[in-house]
Amino acid sequence: MQAMNLTSSSTPAAAASMGDRAALVLREAGIGLALLVLLGVFALLSPIFLTAGNITNIFTQISINVILAVGMTFVILIGGIDLSVGSVMAFCAVVAGTVLKLDGLDPALAIALALAASIAVGAVCGLVNGAVSAWWAIPSFIVTLGMLNIARGAALQWTQARSIYEFPDAFNNFGSATLLGVPAIFLVALALVLAGWFVLNRTVFGRLVYAIGNNEEAVRLAGHSVRFYKIAAFVICGAAVGVGAVIYMTRLTIASPISGIGFELNAIAAVIIGGTSLSGGRGSIIGTLLGACIIGVLANGLILIGMSDFLRQMVTGFVIILAVVLDVLRARLAQRAAR
Amino acid sequence: MDHDDTLRTGAGMAAVALELQGLTRRHPGVTALDGVDLTLMRGEVHALAGENGAGKSSLIKILCGADRPDAGRMRLFGEAYAPQTPLAAMRAGIRVVHQELHMLGELSVAENLLFERLPRTRLGLLDRAAMDRRARELLALVGLDELSPATRVGTLGMAQQQLLEIAKALSNQRGGAARIVIMDEPTATLTPRETDRLLAIIRKLRDDGVTVVFVSHHLQELFEVCDRVTVLRNGRHVATQPMAGTSTGELVRLMVGRELVERPARVAPVLDAGRPAALRVEGLRHAGRRDTSSTAPTIDFSLHYGEIVGLAGLVGSGRTETLRAIFGADRAAAGRILRDEQPVRIASPRDALAHGICLVTENRKEEGLVLDLPIRANLSLARLGAVSRGGLLSAEAENAAARRMAGELQIRLASIAQPVRQLSGGNQQKVVLGKWLLRDPKVLLLDEPTRGVDVGAKAEIHALLERMAAQGMAVLVVSSDLRELIGLCDRMLVMSRGVLVGELPRAQFDEEAILAMAYREYLVRPQQAA
Repeated sequence: MQAMNLTSSSTPAAAASMGDRAALVLREAGIGLALLVLLGVFALLSPIFLTAGNITNIFTQISINVILAVGMTFVILIGGIDLSVGSVMAFCAVVAGTVLKLDGLDPALAIALALAASIAVGAVCGLVNGAVSAWWAIPSFIVTLGMLNIARGAALQWTQARSIYEFPDAFNNFGSATLLGVPAIFLVALALVLAGWFVLNRTVFGRLVYAIGNNEEAVRLAGHSVRFYKIAAFVICGAAVGVGAVIYMTRLTIASPISGIGFELNAIAAVIIGGTSLSGGRGSIIGTLLGACIIGVLANGLILIGMSDFLRQMVTGFVIILAVVLDVLRARLAQRAAR
Repeated sequence: MDHDDTLRTGAGMAAVALELQGLTRRHPGVTALDGVDLTLMRGEVHALAGENGAGKSSLIKILCGADRPDAGRMRLFGEAYAPQTPLAAMRAGIRVVHQELHMLGELSVAENLLFERLPRTRLGLLDRAAMDRRARELLALVGLDELSPATRVGTLGMAQQQLLEIAKALSNQRGGAARIVIMDEPTATLTPRETDRLLAIIRKLRDDGVTVVFVSHHLQELFEVCDRVTVLRNGRHVATQPMAGTSTGELVRLMVGRELVERPARVAPVLDAGRPAALRVEGLRHAGRRDTSSTAPTIDFSLHYGEIVGLAGLVGSGRTETLRAIFGADRAAAGRILRDEQPVRIASPRDALAHGICLVTENRKEEGLVLDLPIRANLSLARLGAVSRGGLLSAEAENAAARRMAGELQIRLASIAQPVRQLSGGNQQKVVLGKWLLRDPKVLLLDEPTRGVDVGAKAEIHALLERMAAQGMAVLVVSSDLRELIGLCDRMLVMSRGVLVGELPRAQFDEEAILAMAYREYLVRPQQAA
């Protein structure tokens, strides 16, 4: 290897040779370490925390959030945000519920159609979010705030505010099924994590998602359609919501137009705790998975040690702020080291 | 305050306001100021002249506390002066009117003018009456008597905002009145009538005993209002002399210098007359021009395979806008682009790239690089199709392409996986070049390709461009460094205030002649449009 250029001789060789990937792995390792510490603390404080039953429980509880957070990661990486996720999920659910209840359909076919309908509704909502914000350069915060109301209203209107239930047994059973002790719905979430990881790390699409979050103008001048990728990120997020809606129905065995309230905030929290920068361009799906695990473990563990609902909510809030503060401090340290 | 005594005793006789001795400022690879001596008298208007990069900006930055010298000392009215912050300079009575506007558009005129020290009542609330009164006083100073202090600044034009900047600099902000006012290109956005008003303000300041340092591309204005002129060249003090008795030609000569530019032997390309022009620009008018009427002069030129053409001119003369319009980065107001004599439609960078045209932009960090991504990802950014199959990235292909480019351009790096942020300016610029060279461009446009690049990398970039031209690429280079263009180019186009004013073959390259052309449109004061 050649020496660094003379003019940048102040850069320590260690920092220079540390690849981007290494930095990323380090960040993920930090979040993983935090998760391990949490696991250790709760294992000491509660005898039932580490039992197989409780672990399965945690997996079940975090599955929906993992699914939503995978989609949210794409949106946040391109520098956007999606506040409509919870409402869109309710709208997806009631549409899927209606399809499931269609007369004269074979249950397997009905389930497949319901899933397709749910994903389609989510993707269309994402398309609207993405197209409006990318085309007229409107902050996605505002557009998706509008969609939050539109989708919730649509879900209530569609059902006249009633829940839909009595779905096929095969459908309802999936929500509680396990494979080798692992909940089936968590396996679905894990599959989405893998797919998201693959897209972000191995495809041209993923490369451009990172690049746009980092420097939109450079990407535009390199001849790429920035709008297309921005819109696509919202469509992916919407499609993930569609999957999440159906998975959530299998757990609750109903489709409610008032479900999913505040889910977007949990998903955003998982992404942020997972080390993804709100300004875009930096972060990873693995980090998001770990972030969702931290939120889930905290919620579960704090109940087991007997903390009240109200205090639990406060602790979760503190953790979100702490995660971002630590990330900022880490970035400052890295910057100082590079100077 | 004890300076008041100094002022009073100095009244009537020529008192020294500011004395600089051996002021030196070095940046990596370039000495911005090299032992500059300068004496400013109380109550004089002093012109600061020099080419782009002569050291004017570096000097102003040190005077106003934004930067600190590496060597040398300053005395302000006899006292040692070494401002550590812009605030300290302001307190000492040194004010700068910058070329860029720093007004807060949503606030009122009065709030903007008095922002540094808003008057308050005893209860700590805003004293609106005092604000209004003081704002009116300041507005009267710059001849904006008719403007209401309650007007929202965002509704005002550029010229009025520029005058407000001047009024703000004159206000008694942060203690002490203004003693030295530095005006850095204050007339760039002004109409002729407003320029006259500004020159009158400057004369009034002088009569009040304030020292004014005036920087302007418009040499005519310097002659109109200045008492003395100091010329800087390559960071060195060249001359200080009375304005009266100095001719325009002499001033330009002082700015350019007499020394010969060393011209490395460049073999002129053999242009095949029968071959179509690589690029032809006809009737171009970029959207940023102030005068977009259909009678305004247009930009017309051609570029041939194998030649390096320079586009010279002052900063702000429309060079960058021309390149960006050709590349489709900004929409052009009018004009046709022809590639190989065939008209092509370029509405976006994507279209330009499809026609083999690439642009190295002037701000590599803002527009050229994705700083947090690895070097290899930056190199492949404009040619992802070549390092992927069916949308899947091939790490192997990407690494191979990146290694090839890093080798060809001699990019000094630890690893191609390193974030490009960690490279030095010169190596970052090579990454930008590599990104485009991977596309194998037919026409390469470059905007300030060696700005902020150390001497070694600069020479390497020059050699690279010559090699590319020798292989048949058509190259168009914009640079503020005239010597660079003279050494590098086969032909020179010169722009002046948005107009293409001339074209010179290499045999006729002459720094003085080129600079005279570059200043041409600035020497004439345009008549106010009816």
